[in-house]
Amino acid sequence: MKSGMFADIPVDVGVVYEGERIRKGDMHAELGGPDVPHKFELLRVRPSDQVEDGKVVVVGPELKDIPEGSKTPFAMLVEVSGKDLEEEMEGVFERRLHYFTNWVEGFMHLNQRNTIWCRVSKKTVQKGFTLKHLGMVIIRLYHSECPIIEKVQVTFYTDPAEVERLYPEAIKVYDARDARARGLKDEEVDVFYGCTLCQSFAPTHVCVITPQRYANCGAISWFDGRAASRIDPKGSIYEVKIGKVIDPLKGEWEGANESVKAKSLGAVQRVQLYTAFGYPHTSCGCFEAVAFYIPEVDGLGIVHRDFKGPAVNGVSFSTMADSTAGGRQVDGFHGLSFEYMRSPKFLQADGGWKRVVWIPKEAKERVKDFIPKEVVDKIPTEEEVKNIEELKAFLKEHNHPIVEPSEDLKKLGVKGLKGVEAEKAAEAPAEAAGGVPAEGVPVMAPTLTVGVPGAGGMEFEIILKNARIFAEKMIIRKAERKGKGEGK
Amino acid sequence: MRIKADELQLPWLRAKGLELNLGRVVREWEEEEGPTPMPDIASLREWDKKLLRRYKPFYLPFCDLCCLCTFGKCDLSRGKRGGCGIDMGGQLSRIVLLSCCIGASTHCGHARHMLDELIEKYGRDHPLDVGGENVYLEAPTIRLVTGIKPRTLGDLEDVLDYCETELVHLLSCTHTGQEGDNLDFESKVFHAGMIDHVVMEVADIAQISAYGFPKADPEAHLVELGMGVIDRSKPVILVIGHNVPPAIGVANYLARENLEDQVEVCGICCTAIDLTRYSRKAKIVGPISFQLRFVRSGVADVIMVDEQCIRADILREAQKVNAVLITTHYKNFQGLPDRTRDPVEGIVKDLVEGKLPGVAILDSEKAGEVAVRVAMQIAPRRRKMGLIPPEEKVMEEARRCTSCFSCVRACPNTLPIPQALAEAGKGDLKPLSELYEPCVGCGRCEQEGICPVGIKPHTLILGAHRLETAEERFKMRAGRGAIQDVEIRRVGQPIVMGEIPGVLALVGCSNFPGSWKEVARIAEEFARRKYILCTTGCSAMAIGMYRDENGQSLYETYPGVFDAGGIVNCGSCVANSHIAGAAIKIANIFAKRRLRSNYEEIADYIHNRVGAVGVAWGAYSQKASSIASGFWRLGVPVIVGPHGSKYRRALLGRKEDPEAWKVIDARTGKEVYVGPVPEHLFFMAETVEEAMVAIPKLCMRANDTARGRSMKLNHYIDLHRKLFGELPDDLHLFVRTAADIPVTMKDEVMAFLKEKGWKEFENPNPDPTLVPRLVRAKEG
Repeated sequence: MKSGMFADIPVDVGVVYEGERIRKGDMHAELGGPDVPHKFELLRVRPSDQVEDGKVVVVGPELKDIPEGSKTPFAMLVEVSGKDLEEEMEGVFERRLHYFTNWVEGFMHLNQRNTIWCRVSKKTVQKGFTLKHLGMVIIRLYHSECPIIEKVQVTFYTDPAEVERLYPEAIKVYDARDARARGLKDEEVDVFYGCTLCQSFAPTHVCVITPQRYANCGAISWFDGRAASRIDPKGSIYEVKIGKVIDPLKGEWEGANESVKAKSLGAVQRVQLYTAFGYPHTSCGCFEAVAFYIPEVDGLGIVHRDFKGPAVNGVSFSTMADSTAGGRQVDGFHGLSFEYMRSPKFLQADGGWKRVVWIPKEAKERVKDFIPKEVVDKIPTEEEVKNIEELKAFLKEHNHPIVEPSEDLKKLGVKGLKGVEAEKAAEAPAEAAGGVPAEGVPVMAPTLTVGVPGAGGMEFEIILKNARIFAEKMIIRKAERKGKGEGK
Repeated sequence: MRIKADELQLPWLRAKGLELNLGRVVREWEEEEGPTPMPDIASLREWDKKLLRRYKPFYLPFCDLCCLCTFGKCDLSRGKRGGCGIDMGGQLSRIVLLSCCIGASTHCGHARHMLDELIEKYGRDHPLDVGGENVYLEAPTIRLVTGIKPRTLGDLEDVLDYCETELVHLLSCTHTGQEGDNLDFESKVFHAGMIDHVVMEVADIAQISAYGFPKADPEAHLVELGMGVIDRSKPVILVIGHNVPPAIGVANYLARENLEDQVEVCGICCTAIDLTRYSRKAKIVGPISFQLRFVRSGVADVIMVDEQCIRADILREAQKVNAVLITTHYKNFQGLPDRTRDPVEGIVKDLVEGKLPGVAILDSEKAGEVAVRVAMQIAPRRRKMGLIPPEEKVMEEARRCTSCFSCVRACPNTLPIPQALAEAGKGDLKPLSELYEPCVGCGRCEQEGICPVGIKPHTLILGAHRLETAEERFKMRAGRGAIQDVEIRRVGQPIVMGEIPGVLALVGCSNFPGSWKEVARIAEEFARRKYILCTTGCSAMAIGMYRDENGQSLYETYPGVFDAGGIVNCGSCVANSHIAGAAIKIANIFAKRRLRSNYEEIADYIHNRVGAVGVAWGAYSQKASSIASGFWRLGVPVIVGPHGSKYRRALLGRKEDPEAWKVIDARTGKEVYVGPVPEHLFFMAETVEEAMVAIPKLCMRANDTARGRSMKLNHYIDLHRKLFGELPDDLHLFVRTAADIPVTMKDEVMAFLKEKGWKEFENPNPDPTLVPRLVRAKEG
């Protein structure tokens, strides 16, 4: 039954083998993994003359010669060339190795970089599968998936001494790559990337991906965007010329606006990338967390998708997510990825982390290292506060920056907790304390009032004597909706 | 609500002796009302016609005659019309409508019965809660169809009022001399299906909320399943049916009297599923096909039935093994005296003394108490008297077989009984024992006058399989109810990126054409391929009654989350509403489409975007047909097994007709060819292999991203190659651009496409819709 591009490989190759687990009993050998000190996978972009397309080299014993049941140091070095390739795409292409190797029947690949953990099954080795074959599979898949890769050669190292010798080199490459990625600022590039993949479900949603702002799903970085747009220029991930900057603080560019306008068919006219207010970046539905405005303290809360139970404002993630999803711009509700929370640009126009007043513990742990030291302990989680009153007390007690905003926060229009309280005190006390909106609609609590049609002031009164009113049904609806949406 | 005020002063009102009576308070909600609140038969006809133009009814006359009125019998074959003027297409679609009316009315009656009982017990104001914080959209189908956002049990009464009205109108359409057009009948079929989904949702969210069933919990507990898990040393109560309150009456009495460890409670069919959502002690025997075999095993001392899918001869069968029968619903008296108003003592005495073979008790709590007390008193005396013969007896009987094949003709699955009996006669019981799995347990082979020498094949099969039966010990995850909104948000990105190739619902009854393990085989194959699997009812049990290579049930191997490779048991038949509900939620969650009375738009969204397919491999009932038709109106394809042809018609797309596969691109308003996706709305697979290839194919949608399509094609091609040894012949119709081709198959697919003269699609990624008003492009 073997046919097609892997006819000469002794085992099957297909997506269906992804996620296949190879148990100890079925395992021929473990390559890399937690029990050996050295292992890595590395992809390098090389000049064309240094790569021989299709070449596979194995330095050290082949699979069949590795003793059954053993664990061995292991490295994969993939060298590629192509005229449109750039060094900064290395990480993107390297991550494909995880999938390509997993698609081999009887070969398991976990983790990435210098933590890889591979296993090959007894059956697969018995069928005659070798590392040479694995190399052939990898090369063909790179050619099949990424036409801009013109040449590929693969070298496997199973000789422990060789793996150990090359290991520090690999670490150096990773470190340099990370430093470059972290160091790259939005101001330093002239293109962003747009993504409309989610339009298949949310037809008006467009993502703008910048070096410092991942796609909302958390899955596509600027580098991924760059590679994807080169591989398939007609695809759903495309280059956005950023053009003139309109507002560097809020993150608004002419080019980004035009692109978003065109791709959303005008549903979204402007987008400001670093704020939750005004013209925030839209969300489809699969964002990892929501930032929400808490009017009582003039701060922002964050709640992530896996948080069970209500957030500090009494509203659950599901309910707030409902307020922000679907490619709409909703003032004060903002879908986020975790990666964006780690960015220095994170809600910078709103005060960044200094404006954040609540976050679940689990989410906080994930981004802790990226929260400025001076506020990290001042942001409470569900363990410290359970409601707005407790939140206020906590913020005051810990002197969170929102209590009495500094000048730089004030410049951003932040009133702060005390500012809100002062305003409240000045207003007529008639207004009831704003509770938690039952339906998740921002701010307005559904108070039950009986309105009299046409009654502007109190110019008349109704007097009833011995009245008996029988109503089969009483419909309670919000006053401002009157007149709208007449059904059949 | 009632307000009385002797004196009332408001800024704008002064009243004396005011009496205000409010019948019902309806709270408005934030969503604007859509165009079709509480649609009647005509409201969605245009949408139905759109679907029916694509998916033309293909009629499979199960019978050429109509004998519904005294004009008949009328022969409708070869283009003839009946005395009333109806033709074959009209008549068959009319029968389909009748079937769907029966199905939907059954669920509606079930829901009404349930709701009345729950309201009496918990009150009209008892709040609805199907999943706490993680479920914001508590009743997607109810919102979508009726425009009501229910908050309490009482709110559900309005929903049922509407549904009951619609069902009466629908049933009336089947009267002689009403509708004449087959497509209009089909539209009414869809209407019945839509109503069915509403009433199922009512029934399930009511019982989840009131009884405290697992609330959208992916880690709902594991339930013991199989004939071998029932502890025969204890008094055993068997519950059968669908409407769980009487079975809960048993569980409540046992808990109250501290008898839970002394009496075994087990169930068959959906009542078993719902009981195990309530009580962790209860066990499941198996699907409906296990009714006869378990009753005849004699293990049950008391059999308590409620409604639906209960054998009509259950009293006879109970009497054969000296078990007591308690019926609990007026839908199913079984001829027994109604003792609802009698004191418990008297009823128990009459049953224990054998004065009556059974009683009807229409009070759940009382029925529960009687069942327990009778079981405890008669169990020692019955000594589990059963009818299953020992091996020697089986061989002896088998030798009498004359190989006349009458039993084969009586068997719905045409099982090779005489051949197996011949081997058994020679001392090899294996072939006979192997008939146990593909036997649907109908017992037709044993009916009077079938076997000329009086052999009872079904009984002999049970005898030959006796020892293996005792080893039937499996696990099933308890029905969890709804899908969380949060789970849907989590899978959005992997679906877009192609990591999750589709959603597969394995539902329906156990009239399987072969072993029930075929359903488990489908489940395992697609869970491994990272599809999201949802299941309900007898199919949920079938999936559990199988051990994988690790010796575990699939519910132990695969997680219960609505995510790649998860197997989600939603619950009983009425929990099918949650599967449709998940599809509906997708439209609201990702695109913020309004749900409220906005059926057409949401169905259009689901049809063009949500890669879901239903498989009812053993569908037999009228309820199964109405459940399926509810999915059709949402544009979700359904596959049934070979017995499904007896539903009399398929809804088949014609993939070679390019005009049938055009959508409107909502961005431009222009028509765009998107290929035959999904190819059919309702079709019968002859073999499990055919079904397995059709599943990935029917998950393709017009909105697929290139990554998504390439993954769906990957599974389609891979399964086709593995099961049929070659590339699928229609592959070129589903490849829109080169980017759709799976990377591991590029060479061979390209070669195939070249041979077919394939060209790239003009617009491979439109914003697809079938509804012109949803075009977003500006004029000019």
